Amino acid sequence: MAFPRELIRNFSIIAHIDHGKSTLADRLMQLTKTVAERDMEEQLLDSMDIERERGITIKSTAVRMFYTAKDGNTYMLNLIDTPGHVDFTYEVSRALAACEGAVLVVDATQGIEAQTLANVYLALDNDLEIIPVINKIDLASADPENAIREIEDIIGLPAEDAPLISAKTGLNVEDVLERIVSDIPAPKGDADAPLKALIFDSLYDNYKGALSYVRIVEGTVKPGDRIRFMHSGNEFDVTEVGIFNPRWQPVKELTAGEVGYISASIKSVAETKVGDTITLADNPAKEPLHGYKQANPMVFCGIYPADGADYEALKEALDKLVLNDASISYEPETSQALGYGFRCGFLGLLHMEIAEERLEREFDLDLVTTAPSVIYRVVMLDGSVRMIDNPSNLPSPMEIQKMEEPMVMAHIMTPPEYVGSIMELCQEKRGFFIDMTYLEENRVKLTYRMPLNEIIFDFFDGLKSRSRGYASFDYELGEYEESDLVKLDFLLNGDMCDALSTIVHRDKAYAKGRAVAEKLQEVIPRQQFEIPIQAAIGGKIIARETVRAVRKDVLAKCYGGDITRKKKLLEKQKEGKKRMRQVGTVAVPSDAFMSVLRIN
Amino acid sequence: MTGLYIHIPFCKSKCKYCDFVSFPEYEREDIYFVALISEIRRYAPLMKDRRFGTVFIGGGTPTSLKSGRIKALMDEVRKCFDIDENAEITCEANPESATEEKLMELIEAGINRLSIGMQSASDSILKTIGRIHTRADFIKSVENARTVGFKNINADIMHGLPTQTQKDYVSALELAAELDLPHISSYSLILEEGTPLWESVSNGAMELPDADETADMEDAGFIFLNEKGYTRYEISNFSKPGFECRHNINYWDNGEYLGVGLNSHSALSLKGDWTRFRNTDNLSEYISELGEGKLPVRDTRRIEPDEEMFETIMLGLRKCSGISRAEFQKRFGADMAVLYAPAIAELELDGMIEVTEDSIYLNNRGLDFQNEALLKFMEQ
Repeated sequence: MAFPRELIRNFSIIAHIDHGKSTLADRLMQLTKTVAERDMEEQLLDSMDIERERGITIKSTAVRMFYTAKDGNTYMLNLIDTPGHVDFTYEVSRALAACEGAVLVVDATQGIEAQTLANVYLALDNDLEIIPVINKIDLASADPENAIREIEDIIGLPAEDAPLISAKTGLNVEDVLERIVSDIPAPKGDADAPLKALIFDSLYDNYKGALSYVRIVEGTVKPGDRIRFMHSGNEFDVTEVGIFNPRWQPVKELTAGEVGYISASIKSVAETKVGDTITLADNPAKEPLHGYKQANPMVFCGIYPADGADYEALKEALDKLVLNDASISYEPETSQALGYGFRCGFLGLLHMEIAEERLEREFDLDLVTTAPSVIYRVVMLDGSVRMIDNPSNLPSPMEIQKMEEPMVMAHIMTPPEYVGSIMELCQEKRGFFIDMTYLEENRVKLTYRMPLNEIIFDFFDGLKSRSRGYASFDYELGEYEESDLVKLDFLLNGDMCDALSTIVHRDKAYAKGRAVAEKLQEVIPRQQFEIPIQAAIGGKIIARETVRAVRKDVLAKCYGGDITRKKKLLEKQKEGKKRMRQVGTVAVPSDAFMSVLRIN
Repeated sequence: MTGLYIHIPFCKSKCKYCDFVSFPEYEREDIYFVALISEIRRYAPLMKDRRFGTVFIGGGTPTSLKSGRIKALMDEVRKCFDIDENAEITCEANPESATEEKLMELIEAGINRLSIGMQSASDSILKTIGRIHTRADFIKSVENARTVGFKNINADIMHGLPTQTQKDYVSALELAAELDLPHISSYSLILEEGTPLWESVSNGAMELPDADETADMEDAGFIFLNEKGYTRYEISNFSKPGFECRHNINYWDNGEYLGVGLNSHSALSLKGDWTRFRNTDNLSEYISELGEGKLPVRDTRRIEPDEEMFETIMLGLRKCSGISRAEFQKRFGADMAVLYAPAIAELELDGMIEVTEDSIYLNNRGLDFQNEALLKFMEQ
């Protein structure tokens, strides 16, 4: 028998990194005895290593809890945890679309951050009931009044009666449960209508295949049903439906209002895309739920094995990674300097870093990554258009009529004292000033239109260092705009190194060329001959550095009878040599390709 | 013949660049020697078929020990081992403790070669690197050595030291040459992680000459030594004819040696297997294990023929005369020039190696890039 729909509450938690989202989720699960305390791992929802380390949520997850409220009723609470980063805005929006309400957690010591605000707007767009909660009130520096004022001033939400809690100690967390029950509406939807299930996430399991994490909006689904993905048109037979307890637990059926998973022997998460609508093949819904978007990679880079022999291992690792993250694209490419590798596309920089880290960690690979690039729109003389995500593929300037680059609208939140230096940074990054508003006395919102390619390098680092970590930013993708772009190449001892080429604005080419040449001069070890390093635009050399020839490479002393040191040193040199890439006559350490990305 | 190395782990004060196993715990000197003597005795039956052509007492500072100690040690060594009558017997000494009396004791102990830790002729540099002697102390120690009868004297000299200039370095060589020392070991400083000098350099308190400055020093020094009649016979060793250090040459020939004392290393052919091992570097373990009648041996490894061959090359190519093809053939049953033809061809192309009918050796350029050369042999 289906659970009474009026007793179901679907909600998510919105919070800035470190403001205590996962800790609150843990407490809620403890209070509702969803997880026995002894089984409780810290921050159970964030189950990936990297998520734990970085303190952020990358994938959405969900958990079902039962709570007997003070009104005597037992409610089913479905908590849908959302990713917490700008790269995953679309995923967040779909997860929020699966809820009727959201708990907004604000750190009483910090107030509202930009990231939070963006997600609050997403929640408001999805007509969610928002329950503000002030966390960390146990800390000495807590200023709950300020946090409440910020919520009221910035978001315009009444927060006078927001629960003041400490997720860490458990103080007043029960109030949050009561407010969820009383404030968030029960889901609507007809259990007998044609099935409409919103996919808010998907996950690959070695045994079950790709699972769709869904919110049933209308209708009912059970094992044996034939389902259809309305956007892709693919059909599958349901083998299992279940709920999150928080581990998977099969149930007989999922009906309107409920949150759970559908397993249907699907081979890859690419076939169960976030935002798609699942319906029944023999009784389909008339139209899918709105809001579906194809998630397109925006940032591209070359990924190569540090040891060329690991190409197959890298390929297998990418195959597996994509099973679980359909938003990563990859195709084989070859570089003269780096050999065989892949051109990979990501939703954003963080997404890229996380994917690299997972490849290195979960698949034990050593990688070389080239500078990230956006997709440039190149209009040729004959009027045809090419989309270029790899600088090496840029046609000759002779054939190009004009080039366009993607722009973003960047919103930066900062305390007023850093406005000056942040504006300077935005200027340096070719930003166009759009707006500056005082959200309140202590918080300014700057809006700039900026080229995406300026943001993908070190904008975030620059912002953090100029604001001592206080500023944060979001961006949304805008239009393509014509721009005076050039390809900047680097030559080592006269040979061009394709893996180092980047596309930059002409005005920045000289500074960038000089900076990279200097960096290369630092990271390329001295060899038996002198190595000129040149930065060039077209055929024109714009910067030059030299790596002087090494004079000696010998261990002066062989210690008494202890030859192990000498051998270890040689082994180390041998290992180092294995990680070198040959660019013409020059041996370049693999990490040189990455270190030039980090230039200030 | 086999070499014997004896380690003395005591020093009055630790130099800032030193990461050898040595410390100023003289309160444990007596018990250390009880252990050392019992170790020597334990080896006596095992070594009964070997004759020792060289003995080297290193440290630490052997001359800083109680009087009579070295004499007693050598008496025991002679009792337990078959020491060749023409054996080269070296003892290390530091200038501040090389008194006439102490050196006399060494002579009485049968020591015939003295290796003095001079390091630099500049008092300010000596102080900077934590040495407790002066230039004058060094000159005096050489006088003392001559007075008691030492003829075969070496000075250890370093370059690449903090604040050191080319002139500083050459003037140290000059002093050794003026004193007519027949042997000079000239090492460039190796900055070892964890030493006080390493700390100072890491935190910017001290600066070392860069690689080019050090290379310049080295080149100038070598030219000077050559002019003064010293022949370079190994990467860092120079001597007048007939004064090459036989103990070290045995290492570079990948010959057999036994090490006794704390953290000493050994390489022996045991039942036909080339074997390497070392002693513990922990003084308490060393003492207690020998007290229980056990040898405090660690990391015993049988060296496979391939590895033995590479070690032979790694060590042999340190010598300016290189590797004797006949010796190599005798040891491994193959011609080195044939076995390593690809590596040798590459190195010939790079202008680093010379192959004659008798031997294979690195020329001056090859010696400068010995690591590169060895990698070629390693990778082939």
